[in-house]
Amino acid sequence: MDKVVTLSEAVASIPSGSHVALSGFAITRATMAFAAEVLRQGIRNLTVSQCVGAMDADLLVGGGAVSRILYGGGSLDRFGRLACVNRAIEEGSIVAEEYSSLSMVFRYVAGALGLPFITIRSLRGSDVLKHLEEKAPSAVAYVDDPFTGEKWLALRPLNPDVAVVQVQVADPEGNAWIYGPRWDNEEQVKASKRTIVITEQLVPTEVIRRDPERTVIHGFRVSHVVHLPFSAHPTAVYRVYDYDADHIRLYAEAAKTPEGMRAYLDKYVYGVKDHWEYLELLGGVRHLTKLAADPILGY
Amino acid sequence: MGTEVEYTPFELMAVAGARELKNGEIVAVGLGLPVVATFLAKRTHAPDITIMFELGVIDPEPIHTGVGLADPRVWYRSKVLSTFVDMLGGVLHGGRVDVGFLGGLETDAYGNLNTTLLGDPKGKFRHFVGSGGANDIASSSKRTIIIIRHEERKLKEAVSFITSPGYIRGGQERAQAGLPGGPSRVITDKAIFGFDPESKRMTLLSIHPGCTLEDVLGTMGFKPIVPEHVPFTEPPTAEQVRIIREEIDPEGIYSG
Repeated sequence: MDKVVTLSEAVASIPSGSHVALSGFAITRATMAFAAEVLRQGIRNLTVSQCVGAMDADLLVGGGAVSRILYGGGSLDRFGRLACVNRAIEEGSIVAEEYSSLSMVFRYVAGALGLPFITIRSLRGSDVLKHLEEKAPSAVAYVDDPFTGEKWLALRPLNPDVAVVQVQVADPEGNAWIYGPRWDNEEQVKASKRTIVITEQLVPTEVIRRDPERTVIHGFRVSHVVHLPFSAHPTAVYRVYDYDADHIRLYAEAAKTPEGMRAYLDKYVYGVKDHWEYLELLGGVRHLTKLAADPILGY
Repeated sequence: MGTEVEYTPFELMAVAGARELKNGEIVAVGLGLPVVATFLAKRTHAPDITIMFELGVIDPEPIHTGVGLADPRVWYRSKVLSTFVDMLGGVLHGGRVDVGFLGGLETDAYGNLNTTLLGDPKGKFRHFVGSGGANDIASSSKRTIIIIRHEERKLKEAVSFITSPGYIRGGQERAQAGLPGGPSRVITDKAIFGFDPESKRMTLLSIHPGCTLEDVLGTMGFKPIVPEHVPFTEPPTAEQVRIIREEIDPEGIYSG
């Protein structure tokens, strides 16, 4: 079944108030074109989750589309903090449930496997847990191990409404390959009710059938496939393009103040009609070619 | 006496970190100094160390310095590229990680680490990176090594937010929380600390050459246990300094 649609059509399938799991990790494979289109369509009140916060969540929070974030902390690596996420937490303008990387992924795992809960050693003895007990009392509890009687921390499963995942290769059904480390992406997909795949390269299913060991997203879980080059820009897509260091620096600087962020959004999100215009604004092919990954290095 | 080897405080910390690692151990690392320390150990006394990054990376051989774990520069020539569940789950939570290397905004007398916020958690605060895998690594590694700058605001009696637990409030509190292991060393740019086996309070083990006891204690926010005799930290060898400068961090990005 051919599920290929435009980014605009895929984003329009997400109602305000949805829980969206995002595939970014700091400055790599972040769903940037998706986040920009969400802002342009005026979708609001989203819950966003990911194991390590990335630039996609920061853009969505900066644009006012998010009311709640579930994440394990995050940054733009050495480019700086997730300024919009941090400011929103400091001001109390979004609800933040903060976990560790593993406790977030365990919630997805429990959701993916259909378990009633999952036990974990992490978080105990920490203020991360104390905060969760206050802010998300329905997400954490203690249980006794039925075999040993030992006390364990239990986490509630997480089932996002939709996972949005940037991949290198997908077919029209949504069967997809991710090159490089995949952090929480497989568990996000399996835990979510459906998945939107955004791919750099669209290939015939026959290509997938020749290397099925590589398939980490099952087509039947996918509702929409979007074929859009440089859709993670300015973050990196391993083996396809490097992060755009200059643009991330520009963003990190702008995001430091609400006024700076406003100006960034006006120029790079609301000032363009779509992702294609955004790429032109950056300098088009002449600029993007400079980011192309070296085939041996992968960046 | 042989020729004096010149080194920076960063290089001394990296060498001290490397010395803590034994051949064959599995080490969970974050970026920066822990990476330099672990690569140094691997190139000297511990070639069979396995290096693990939380997001799904084992034993990379980077030739360019990355901006963080998410940078593909850091994954170059890895033996494994997989997932959180594989690394933090199957390796770390499964009990296979010998050493976790951690840094932070501040640590305290019981080796608790804060990477979440500074200020009043209930009032005005500034929010930072949070846990990532740090809480997981602090909770499930057989032992952890903390690397932090030696400043009063970074070495406090109690951190303002426990992101990653050490011995919590000391004594048996960590074990009572169901956590194995705990911090074994704290390496700063002035000294190396361990932890008292009973009280679990931070204990001065050695002072770096060129520093004094007064200097070490006067720039901390709490008083550690100080034994009667405190030796000087063994300085780096010329070969260790050469490997760091020429092979591991030639661009001076980690140490710069």
